[in-house]
Amino acid sequence: VTDEQVVPDLVVTRRFSVLPDEMFDAWTNPEKLREWWGPPGVKCTHAEVNLRVGGNFRLANLLPDGNTLWIGGTYEEVDAPRRLKYSWHIEPAHDLDAERVTVDFFAREGGTEVVVTHTAIDSVERFNAHQHGWVGCLDELADLFG
Amino acid sequence: MVYHDLMLQSKSSLSETQLDLVYGALSNSTRRSLLVRLTEGDAFITELAAPFKMSLPAVSKHLGVLEDAGLITRKREGKSRRCALLVSVLDDAESWIAARRVFWTENFESLAAFVERERDDADAQDPA
Repeated sequence: VTDEQVVPDLVVTRRFSVLPDEMFDAWTNPEKLREWWGPPGVKCTHAEVNLRVGGNFRLANLLPDGNTLWIGGTYEEVDAPRRLKYSWHIEPAHDLDAERVTVDFFAREGGTEVVVTHTAIDSVERFNAHQHGWVGCLDELADLFG
Repeated sequence: MVYHDLMLQSKSSLSETQLDLVYGALSNSTRRSLLVRLTEGDAFITELAAPFKMSLPAVSKHLGVLEDAGLITRKREGKSRRCALLVSVLDDAESWIAARRVFWTENFESLAAFVERERDDADAQDPA
């Protein structure tokens, strides 16, 4: 890892068989979110989406143990059907929360590639101040630790 | 429940402030080199400073940053201090990432199932 390299904290990618418009809608339409949001075993019982920069979203995650976990955030970038960027927290929110999620929808032959980038860094300035991504370094160190 | 436990545990195990400290500590090549050296075993400050063209106090300052981030410990032994690596914070930082990787990977599974269901429904309604 060089000092200039910026490595995102976490990137997860998956290809889907429908077009970006539909993928973007699935990601931002409360009715659709209720149908799919959450890992297997978790049911989305409530979804609120105010899809504009500065607008909030809230998603209720009903867990198998009966508890509900609320995930929420504020949209910082809304560029249908290409990109969404929002802050991300598990309620109750804290002032120190600095997680950000960026979702990119790339048109691919016969479908869409969705790329989720989840970071704990709250601004480009902070990223630049640190001048490198810590995940890359952790990976590097993890390799050394064996 | 993996999802619930991971999201909550990882949240509490390493605060954003601690992440900043770890992140800041790792942002310097000298400190990364010091950590790498410590992966080979405990060492006194003089041993750690030997490969660097800098003063002992300067190396000591870097070690202080690593200590504040919880990455190493410094224990006094005689006239010097022995430094040792603490991997638990790095483990916490990795579990923070791992929890979110599990979350998004599983969420993608649900989303894939949903879009395939929707597509099949549309096909059924419009056989043409």
